Amino acid sequence: MSIINEGEPAPIMDDAEVRHITVGKSQGRLILDRFLRNWVALTSLGVFLAVIVLSVTSIGAFGIPGWWKWAYNDLGTGLLNGGAPTLSLIPTWLGGDGIHLGEHPFGQTLIGIDYFAMTMRGIQNSLIVMFIIGILVAVIGTVVGAVAGYYRGWVESVLMRFTDLVIVIPVIVLGAVVGKIASEHFKGLGVLGLSLVLGLFLWTGLARLVRGEFLTLREREYVDAARVSGARDARIMFRHILPNAVGVVIVSTTLIMAAAILLETGLSYLGFGIRSPDVSLGLIISQNQTAFSTRPYLFVWPGVFIVIIALTVNFIGDGLRDAFDPRQRKFVARRMKEQDAK
Amino acid sequence: MVTFITRRLIVSILLLLGAAFIMYQLTALAGDPLEEFYQSRLPNKAQLIAARTEALQLNVPAPLRFFLWLGGAAKCLIPFANSCDLGLTAQGQKVTDLLPMAMGSTLQLVTAATVLAIAIGITFGIVSALRQYTTFDFVMTFVSFLLYSLPSFWVGILLKEFIAIKFNDFLGDPQLGPIWIAVIAIVIGLLWVGLIGGEWRRRVSVFIVSALATAAVLVYFSITDWFLHPNIGPVFMLIMSAGIGLVLTAMLAGIRNRRVMLVAAIQVVITMICYFALQSLLDISSIYTLLILGLVTLVVGLVSGYLVGGQDRGLNMRVGALTALLSAALILVDRLMQSWPQFLGQSSINGRPIATVGSQTPGLTGDIWMHGLDSFTHLLLPTLTLMLIGFAGYTRFSRAGMLDVLNQDYIRTARAKGMPERVVIVRHAFRNSLIPIATIVASDFGALLGGAIITEQVFAFSGMGNLFQVGLRLPDPNPVMGYFVVVAVMVVVFNFIADMTYSALDPRVRTRG
Amino acid sequence: MKFSRIGVPIAIAAVAAMAVTGCTTTGETPTQATGGTVTVAEVNELTSFNPNTPQGNLDMNAKLTGYTRSGFFYIDNKLNLVPDKSFGTIEKISDDPLTVKYTLAKTATWSDGTPVTADDMMLAWAVQSGYYNDSKTDADGNVTSGTTYFDYAGDTTGLGLTSLPVIGDNNMSMTLTYSEPYADWTLINPIDAPAHVVADKAGVALKDVLAAMTSMPRGDASKPAAPNKDLKAFADFWNTGFDATSLPTDKSLYLSSAGMVLDSWTPKQSITLVRNPDYKGDLKPKVDKIVIRFIGDAQAQVTALQNGEVDLINPQSSADTIKSLEALKNVTTLTGNQFSYDHLDISFNTKVFKDPNVRKAFLMTVPRQQILDAIVTPQNPDATLDDSQLFFPGTDAYDASVKVNGASVYDKVDIDGAKALLNGAKPEVRVLYNTKNPNRVASFQALQASAEKAGFKVVDGGAENWGSLLGSGTYDASIFGWISSGVGVAGVPQIFSTTGGGNYSGYSNPQVDQLAQKLQVTLDKKAQDDIQIQIDTMLFADGYGVPLFVAPGVMAHSNNVTGVVYYPGQAGIGWNYWEWAKK
Repeated sequence: MSIINEGEPAPIMDDAEVRHITVGKSQGRLILDRFLRNWVALTSLGVFLAVIVLSVTSIGAFGIPGWWKWAYNDLGTGLLNGGAPTLSLIPTWLGGDGIHLGEHPFGQTLIGIDYFAMTMRGIQNSLIVMFIIGILVAVIGTVVGAVAGYYRGWVESVLMRFTDLVIVIPVIVLGAVVGKIASEHFKGLGVLGLSLVLGLFLWTGLARLVRGEFLTLREREYVDAARVSGARDARIMFRHILPNAVGVVIVSTTLIMAAAILLETGLSYLGFGIRSPDVSLGLIISQNQTAFSTRPYLFVWPGVFIVIIALTVNFIGDGLRDAFDPRQRKFVARRMKEQDAK
Repeated sequence: MVTFITRRLIVSILLLLGAAFIMYQLTALAGDPLEEFYQSRLPNKAQLIAARTEALQLNVPAPLRFFLWLGGAAKCLIPFANSCDLGLTAQGQKVTDLLPMAMGSTLQLVTAATVLAIAIGITFGIVSALRQYTTFDFVMTFVSFLLYSLPSFWVGILLKEFIAIKFNDFLGDPQLGPIWIAVIAIVIGLLWVGLIGGEWRRRVSVFIVSALATAAVLVYFSITDWFLHPNIGPVFMLIMSAGIGLVLTAMLAGIRNRRVMLVAAIQVVITMICYFALQSLLDISSIYTLLILGLVTLVVGLVSGYLVGGQDRGLNMRVGALTALLSAALILVDRLMQSWPQFLGQSSINGRPIATVGSQTPGLTGDIWMHGLDSFTHLLLPTLTLMLIGFAGYTRFSRAGMLDVLNQDYIRTARAKGMPERVVIVRHAFRNSLIPIATIVASDFGALLGGAIITEQVFAFSGMGNLFQVGLRLPDPNPVMGYFVVVAVMVVVFNFIADMTYSALDPRVRTRG
Repeated sequence: MKFSRIGVPIAIAAVAAMAVTGCTTTGETPTQATGGTVTVAEVNELTSFNPNTPQGNLDMNAKLTGYTRSGFFYIDNKLNLVPDKSFGTIEKISDDPLTVKYTLAKTATWSDGTPVTADDMMLAWAVQSGYYNDSKTDADGNVTSGTTYFDYAGDTTGLGLTSLPVIGDNNMSMTLTYSEPYADWTLINPIDAPAHVVADKAGVALKDVLAAMTSMPRGDASKPAAPNKDLKAFADFWNTGFDATSLPTDKSLYLSSAGMVLDSWTPKQSITLVRNPDYKGDLKPKVDKIVIRFIGDAQAQVTALQNGEVDLINPQSSADTIKSLEALKNVTTLTGNQFSYDHLDISFNTKVFKDPNVRKAFLMTVPRQQILDAIVTPQNPDATLDDSQLFFPGTDAYDASVKVNGASVYDKVDIDGAKALLNGAKPEVRVLYNTKNPNRVASFQALQASAEKAGFKVVDGGAENWGSLLGSGTYDASIFGWISSGVGVAGVPQIFSTTGGGNYSGYSNPQVDQLAQKLQVTLDKKAQDDIQIQIDTMLFADGYGVPLFVAPGVMAHSNNVTGVVYYPGQAGIGWNYWEWAKK
């Protein structure tokens, strides 16, 4: 039973499940099982992957062309039909034009750039920002948090002070100032620059959580056992303790990633993030907000994609939380047992 | 405890100084305040540049300039000396002249949003936890995640379009169509079903009753042009204040507690008397009158609770005061509603009350009710935008917190003792689930102030965020630093208070000091 | 005991009752006025009642004086100078030497009842001529010796040529004599702040200041004199005393001599102007109140107009703004040109463009029509190519110039012609533009695509801090905009003569220098136009660059307001506020 959660009060499960565990499922397998049973998280994962595939294959990436005929900076062949979208989702038998994409499904900007391509490029950029921030946060946060929690001492104080500093200056303020500096000296923050900068400030929350986990876990018997058997510190930290704290890292990273996409689009909206001629979902919303009443399609699509990405990532994170830490499920476990007893 | 506080204070001050230094250097790097002159065709360009260099002390290198700035800022700590100096803007205005105004409007916005987000978020979070894995819980989870994933600039623009403009258009001819009535009635009906829950038979009846009641009210509103002449009216006033008394009694004391019930009933009677008696006083009230009346209400609630006596006078007094205050608030709402037609008729409002820009209608004349309505209609949309995001967070946190607490041993013990579920939830679970939320509110405050930057931009609201953003764009370092000082000090103070509260509430933390 | 038991609550109740009733107000009753209120949206906030100092020289401050200060003339939407006889008259007495007499009308009054007199004109003259200054400044503009009295943000070239004015007609007239002809003399409007207020606030007697003004010689920077105390105090107040962040308690700081007077100011939000009861002039406003709200965001302005929160807006023009405005009910949209134009300039400082053929080849590839169609046509369907560096389309002089200046060579993209001129060379051209301005970005993208077809390699030199890079020699061509006042010729030598402060291209043509010099001392409008046409022609012949388009502008007003007329200049939508009426 202690396999599931070291030292925590054991979850209440019925005998069948307990027997099942003793047959020998690994912890990772258990977590995966729990995640796969969560249909909301699974659906979200599916939608999220679909968005990635759509954005990457349509306009291509890293120099490899995609299947879509326009590029996000391609002036194209002039305005078709005033730039109105050609996407039609109403089938003919309902009196619509039938389901088809047409030449410019999301319409065109005033100078004729295909809006679908722009939106896809914006999604790519937002995803890149999100993943880079996620990786940075996970790596820096885990290492700093682990060292601070394991050794305590000056690393811990530096971590705590830095965290305080980041709390004092709201991230969006820091992001805006740094974005402005970059635009002043380096022709604007590129996608990479923006994500690096944000990542360097966002890791503190995770580091604090990891530190907390390490503080409790380092007092465990199995750590003492490892130490006695002569394991080096690095080995203890990353082979023995970390696997028990990995849930915290994964869950909190996912949630930070969801917040990161909103932060990036917000900064770009204000004009301190990604800037023209590159594309960000936030930037195209801010460029097209005047078009709201006349050409709402310029305003709606980027927003919808921001929501889809942030929402699915949030749900995936929530699903992972449930999978890693089923404590909150106990309540229902008891209730289910009560029902069974009836 | 004293050493703990002093240590925290010293650390906070050092932290503020460090952060201010970093911020100052970053802002200095963010661009040249003289840039706009370089493309100027004015013959006296050199003179303009000299004037601004002088005003902003641009000839001093930024690391040293920080200490000049700090010297001025340090004077703010001398009480009553009025020698505060946070530098000049590029236009030569004193930052200290601009800050109070900006702070006022932003705090109004952020406070309203925070309070509402906390109140509504915690309520829904806790109900959601109590009904875990019901449809209501799933819907709430989905809704809160959805709100959590909405970019605020996008929502703000949508709200302007659909709530302000469409609602104002609607007021031109306030007739709800049957489809709208049906949709609203069904949604409200489902909401009640979710909140109350129970067997399917009970659910159906709850749904039918609440949907029909909602539809009836909406039809009544449409027929009587209620949206143009809104009021609560004596009948609804009685029903609503009685409802408040009943719910509070049921929640805090249990419906069988006759004495508490009596206290609540007394408040309802007093409310009804005041409703009729105070109208003419309210007509000529100032804000101070209302404050005094509020104080009197509180005292009446407490005193009547005390006088009724019984075993638990404290409980009586709590229920009495809460019922009295909430019912009194209804009277104020009713009075505000009475001013609505006059408000709509103002030439500067012109029948379109919900505003999309700014925080007040310029040149509006009238009593506090008019200005109250004006503030309400201006703050409504930005507050909603800011609130939605915070609301989602608080729902999630309070749900998780409540579930955590419900799984604790002492809850099991309480249940095992045979305590009624109401007592277990209200007395034991609810209170303890609030402790972690206290810290979250504090640490979220900075994020909320940051979020206000975007909200203020969308709603052309001239508060702190605007000061920061416009300052950064030019760039104009002193307003940016002014913004920073206020935000940083507020965040530090809030965290300090949160730490204190936390250590007061949770004895385990105290030992760390 | 018994007494106190009942007495204390009664006393408390009595005190409370007194407090409650004592804290009431009667409430203001809304005053119903006849002319109604017009609400205008402006981008920037007010910062000073004196728009002529360096720190006060902002658009909103100048616009406020438009509502509250009368002058000898105003400039209408067709660029005509319209005299305001109810304020005063201008009379040219002689051509050689140029002598002009300004006479105030009896109806000219400040809103505190003091008549406007020659004292006020003396103040304005002292400010605008810089007559008394004897200061030397270093490269950074710091004063190294002598005294600068008035920190004037404008140009002192014109009145700097005049000698001490002659006051006459019972202190109601002022006569100025120029030492040499001054082309823009008609644009001199010698009226500024009320002199009696400045003197009063500076703590000096106005007559002492005036005496000092008449007795002091012209300042000489090579022989700086000790500063005159009275005049210095007087000037110092003028320099900073009118700056404000909220409504001053002292009304004299914002006196009006025109139809409106400032009434209230909610900082960061709005100002309210009311009818000036003491105004006796001809330009009487029809509305009772003008509220100016500060709304920075163009989209927020449109929404506010749609929602009836403002009646008039003057936002940054864009096709979407215009489209959404046109979709609004009960709103009239006015479009037109602005006095500003985007242009592509060749940098003569760099190697690439030493060869005139390369310059011409590059200009031939500029897709001007495509840029116009993409940026301007959606906002103004009647827009045509701008074919003059000096005149704005729609004026007679423009038509005359276009016939002869040779700009039409660059009307159509001529890739083959460019290739022929290049003769196989593949020059690399670095183009500077403002990456923050989407129009400039679009222009650059179109230019890049087109020029590369002819064999140019166009390097993206766009920068956000483009302004500080102008004239730095780090680019080969630049796309940016000039903003012009639309009247006067002072700008021509500024931009096109070798030593002009706005000559960022390193352009130098002795003939142009000579003509520009001559232009400055030419009084006759026709002769001025002829000289300018000659300059225009030389510019195109030298391959100076090409104008891209004249910036379109938009104003919109609710149909409740009548009398709003489009205005292309910086005075903005309020230029004819006295014509506004509320339905």
